[in-house]
Amino acid sequence: MAPTKLDVRGEICPYPMMRTVSALKKLSSDERVLEVVTDHAPALETIPTQAARLGFRTDIQETGASEWRILITRNEAEEEA
Amino acid sequence: MTATASNTTLAVTAWATAAVIYVAARALDIEFSMFWLFGLAFGFVLQRGRFCFASAFRDIFLLGHARIMKGVLFGLAVGSVGFGLIMSRQIPMTSLGVYPPSANVLPLGIHTGLGGLLFGIGMVVAGGCVSGSIYRMGEGYVASWVAFAGVMGGLLMSAYTWNWWWDAHIATAPRLWLPHWLGHPGAVVVTLLALAAVYVWVVSVEHRAGMVVPPASGARPQAESVADDLRSAAHRVFVQGWPVLPAGAVLGGLNVLLFTAREPWGFTGEVSRWAIATASLANVAPGPLAGVETLPGCVLVPSDGLFFNHMLFLVLGMFFGSFAAAVGAGEFKIRAPKRPVRYAQSLGGGVIMGYGSGIGMGCTIGAFFSAIPSLAVNGWVFGGFLAIGAWIGTHIIQRIE
Repeated sequence: MAPTKLDVRGEICPYPMMRTVSALKKLSSDERVLEVVTDHAPALETIPTQAARLGFRTDIQETGASEWRILITRNEAEEEA
Repeated sequence: MTATASNTTLAVTAWATAAVIYVAARALDIEFSMFWLFGLAFGFVLQRGRFCFASAFRDIFLLGHARIMKGVLFGLAVGSVGFGLIMSRQIPMTSLGVYPPSANVLPLGIHTGLGGLLFGIGMVVAGGCVSGSIYRMGEGYVASWVAFAGVMGGLLMSAYTWNWWWDAHIATAPRLWLPHWLGHPGAVVVTLLALAAVYVWVVSVEHRAGMVVPPASGARPQAESVADDLRSAAHRVFVQGWPVLPAGAVLGGLNVLLFTAREPWGFTGEVSRWAIATASLANVAPGPLAGVETLPGCVLVPSDGLFFNHMLFLVLGMFFGSFAAAVGAGEFKIRAPKRPVRYAQSLGGGVIMGYGSGIGMGCTIGAFFSAIPSLAVNGWVFGGFLAIGAWIGTHIIQRIE
């Protein structure tokens, strides 16, 4: 299944992080990955922290000039236990 | 690699332009060129440290994080020691009841609290305070230009109502300066202890909010040569974001240097001069502003009919320093929000901020980051109300998707 995508480019602070968090909360339980595209550098600090609080890990790739793709993956329950 | 090379070219061009402006400013007035350099330095450090005062306050409530606030507290501590030293030379005898001429010891009253409250709400709704908007304008955030226009509008509105505030509250409000009661060393020590108490509070907020994941810090590879080592040092200064504590300390240190040179850091007075000058072009300038010439800091500045001013160079330098820093780091990009509501938020938040900084006589810088180190009670009151305003603003932005 292709991951759900969220494009928050152009957004002002702190909406890239807030919209990512609300998208993570809306993921159905069988969805494991959310892909976020952002051009807001401060979100690279806040999104991983908030994702971790919700049980996700993040992988950040720089995709262009001041643009990043953040892959946010749900931690497996077995890994947690 | 080519991206890095073109960033370097752009950055060198930007700094060369800054140097040309320096030479031109020096030909006009040596003070102009000095303030241009200070502005460049402040803008550079704000951008490199992503040192956003709005998020420092907001993230305590929104995320249970105090990462940037810790940098702010550290900067305030550095500033307080430096300012204390400068003021102890200016006013050796605190028992005489006089005030240091240029420190931000401001009349304390309802206007201080309301100004801080409005400013705190506005900065969170707009997504940045005045200094934050200036450095983000340099990074290419279109919404920050809108917020800055809002700030000018709000400052102008505060100028229309200034004389009422002056007569009703400001003229008779006391200016409370800690060294009058505690002496210089005592005032510095009490200020540092109070900053430490705030530090304890924000750390306890972080722990109540639960797990805090430290940012991943990749181990640096061993540099193999002097050139490698220097390249890696330059990368950390010009390309990577700065950690927030050194950024705060450098801003505090620059503030001490600026106070040594002339006066503490602050610029909403200058921005008000632009707003009032623009209004007078349209023949809607507010009349004379009572008492403003008797107050230090970022109090409103009536238009003097002149274009150049040392403070103009400070503000433009902040903008340009951030722009050059962003270009060098590959972080400059024109970013325009897609949702129309963001423009309304930026403008409305800016107006509220502007009004708050008009009656509060400063912003997160002049009425807070330069006022607490001035060992002035008004800095703490403004800061406390900034926090309350940021808390309200956090609730507002969560209702605007």
